[in-house]
Amino acid sequence: MKRTISALVAISLAIVLVAAGASTIVVSGQLLAYQDGYVFFTSGDGFRVAQNVVIHDAKNGGATTLHPAPRIWARATFDASGTVTELDLSRDPLPAQGNFADVTHFAVALSSPVPNPDLLQAVATPAPGEPATVAQHFSGRPVLVTFIVQVPPYTPFTSSIYMATDQSGWNAQAIPMDRVDALHYQITRRFNSGTIFHYLYDRGSLQTQEIAQNGLTRAPRNFVVTDADVRVIRDTVYAWQDAAPGGLNQVQPQIMPTPYNPAPFPNLPPGLPPPQPPPGKKPPP
Amino acid sequence: MARIALSTALTTLVVLVASAAARAAAPAPTPTPQPPSTILYLNATKLDFYYNRFLIEGDGNVRIRTSDGFTVTGDSFSMDLKLNRFMVAGHVTLHDATGTVNGAAIADFLDYRRIYFVPVTSEPDRWTFLDGDLAHPVKGREMPGDTFYFPSVSEHPSITGTGAVIGTKNYVRFINAHTYFLNAGIPLGTYVVNFSSNQYFAQNTLSGASVDLTWNMVGSPNALTAMHLRYDPTYKTYLSFEQHFVGEHEYAILSVNPATRADKWWNLALYEKLGSRFQIQSFTQFYTQQNWFNEPRAAQQTTFLNATYAFPHSYVTASAQLTNYSLLGPGGLEEHNSVAGSLDHPSQVQLTASSFQNRIANWPLFEQIYEGYGFNHDTVGGNQYLQGFPGEGPPIPTPGLQAYGAACPDQHGVKNPPVYFCPVYTTIWNTVFGFNLYTPAIKLNSQANPYQTYYFNASFNKQYQWNSLPHWINTSSENFSISRQFSHALNTYVGYQILNTGDYYINGGYTPCHPVNTFYCPLSFTSFRGVSTQRTTSLGINDAPTPEFNLSFLVRHHTDFPIPVPGVFGLPPNNIIGQPLYTSYLGQAPYDATGEVRFKILPHMMLDVSRTLYWYGNPYRTQFWQPTFVVQLLPI
Repeated sequence: MKRTISALVAISLAIVLVAAGASTIVVSGQLLAYQDGYVFFTSGDGFRVAQNVVIHDAKNGGATTLHPAPRIWARATFDASGTVTELDLSRDPLPAQGNFADVTHFAVALSSPVPNPDLLQAVATPAPGEPATVAQHFSGRPVLVTFIVQVPPYTPFTSSIYMATDQSGWNAQAIPMDRVDALHYQITRRFNSGTIFHYLYDRGSLQTQEIAQNGLTRAPRNFVVTDADVRVIRDTVYAWQDAAPGGLNQVQPQIMPTPYNPAPFPNLPPGLPPPQPPPGKKPPP
Repeated sequence: MARIALSTALTTLVVLVASAAARAAAPAPTPTPQPPSTILYLNATKLDFYYNRFLIEGDGNVRIRTSDGFTVTGDSFSMDLKLNRFMVAGHVTLHDATGTVNGAAIADFLDYRRIYFVPVTSEPDRWTFLDGDLAHPVKGREMPGDTFYFPSVSEHPSITGTGAVIGTKNYVRFINAHTYFLNAGIPLGTYVVNFSSNQYFAQNTLSGASVDLTWNMVGSPNALTAMHLRYDPTYKTYLSFEQHFVGEHEYAILSVNPATRADKWWNLALYEKLGSRFQIQSFTQFYTQQNWFNEPRAAQQTTFLNATYAFPHSYVTASAQLTNYSLLGPGGLEEHNSVAGSLDHPSQVQLTASSFQNRIANWPLFEQIYEGYGFNHDTVGGNQYLQGFPGEGPPIPTPGLQAYGAACPDQHGVKNPPVYFCPVYTTIWNTVFGFNLYTPAIKLNSQANPYQTYYFNASFNKQYQWNSLPHWINTSSENFSISRQFSHALNTYVGYQILNTGDYYINGGYTPCHPVNTFYCPLSFTSFRGVSTQRTTSLGINDAPTPEFNLSFLVRHHTDFPIPVPGVFGLPPNNIIGQPLYTSYLGQAPYDATGEVRFKILPHMMLDVSRTLYWYGNPYRTQFWQPTFVVQLLPI
């Protein structure tokens, strides 16, 4: 009989414990604020905090010197009424635990939710003949982006080609490219998706920057890194600022200009005499 | 001096006339809405800036005042400069003319003119302020999921500070800024990070350098002041100064480089775009040799002026170059009281019309033609005018084209005159005509796998230049290459280039080689009559397994006429970081091999090292290295 009673008590206790455990919800996330009796997560939701809330170290479960504050990671335990009864804190991100969707209804807000027309709505099936609207999504994950550029045919074969971007303060030698063939150069760089940047090609200085096909200074190229494993961007440079076809070459700074000398062999050895009129003849007029 | 004043006046007149014409011809500018621009005045106990992600993170006593008319305080601050949004979290107060509200967090999406706020009055709530209207919050409105997101940063900040002025979409000026090298803090005082998408901030007037550490001292949406600590093999370590003024369609840049060396180059670049079809730009370089700001021992000046007008399928460019080799008169570049010194003031003007690159029918072939007309004045050294000076040596023996055929009366003791030639043609007019033909990449095989596909490229350039004296120059260049990408990292190409240069005279011209002193005449020199051919075969290999590492080799074989002989031809001068100024020249060694490696050494910096080995084949069998490694630090 005693054994039966003990078994019943144990079963009842187990049921109570299980029921008690089922009434608590644990979720982890990053804190946005902790004030006025509420704890706020970066979802923007604020939850009531019990007056006797227990604060522990998330790693060892012991005491901690950390205080709930913005940027701190926390594992929050909610009781059945949606009050946070325990916070386990860490400076480092905690493994994902629980689901905020399960506690969202505990969030305290004076006003009732109102739809936001700014936010993307579910995309309806397009009418026949109408293009489908594709929502642009940026996850922020790294994307390999390969740039392949075709240079003007008169680009010197040993030229170095670079990309200048607003990401690097328009440094003219920020991204060196590698020759692929007589007309093409390429480079692969890793960017986070969602990155927006502007760029131009050059030959090592801003005085050798690309210009537009119409000979004018061109606006920077614009590129948005979208989610993909690899992106390939193909561009064409029509002309260089210092070497437009037939134009007067502009000399880089710090190279004192050499007077225009139509003689094409400036480094002939001393044994080769300079061009001269035929012997006995005066120079032509 | 009068000549300089005249040149300046003429230049100004041309600019004014061209500007007026462009304003008249250009279509009326279409007004476009200005992007929202806000100035944020930020203070915090500690601010961290992460250059690679353009993030500012701040903690402790955050206070931010905005030019939009409100002030926010709180515990923590986070801003993504590229996304142009900021957030303040923890014990937030929002204060404006209508009063103060407490809350847990606030996020301002500046581009969208939306402010999302979590107020805590009797209880928390969610408010959204639309279009800067802080008096009428929309309560309960759903917010974007990442409104109050803190970015994850694990690396060391690039710059720290205790205050910042943020001109959104343009610049950040940090106060009490420090940067870090090997975890040691380096105080900078103020430091400006410019992230404007206006590419005119990119324009600079400084020459290349192996290392350039830039301290942006002062900045605004339209200006940037920078001091540069630089190193190059020529001037070693020195300071340079540069000032930018930038507008939507114009810029002006002034610099002195090096500022702490006796050789100083003062630069001024100006640019203006008038309408959608016309632009004018100038670049003036003023050289002085002076200790600090003492009286210069030498001074030179040159000005480039360039104006372009675009047509629907072509464009016309007018270019001019005006140079004064000695602004100090005789004695420039020499010791005091000497007479020698270049008194040249060469000038040139060129008008060139170029077509766009056009596809020929449906062939994989493109063409472009151009034609130009212009003149060159006084392009021969002024020493030839001076005829040398007793006791100061003879004039420069290299005759320019202007001195064609005119032996100087005084040969300064040369036994077999004439060696020194004097000017005959003070102005040479020229007409240029040329065209380009090229093919884009043509597949040679139709493999499904792109890493098994071979591509063929070819280009051809022909140019004629007729001068007003009986002389003309023909140049032609042919390039062929076959390339293959073996993997994402590895690609190779084989190239073949032929460069022909013909320097023709109707009367006379090049004469056979004559032995001079110890100089003998190799066979190819004796048959050289002003026509050279340079054939180059190239093999290039690039391996870039990661974006942070690149290894490349280039091996070339030159078969040139005249045949190069070691020590006979002069080598081309190098630029300031040790690279040859010319990429192709007579006398280049028949073989050269260049290796280049580029790798990441710091989170935001790569090191690029290259060097070339030159060698002569039989019968000379000599070789030499490029004098120095070419080393460059490249920011990423």
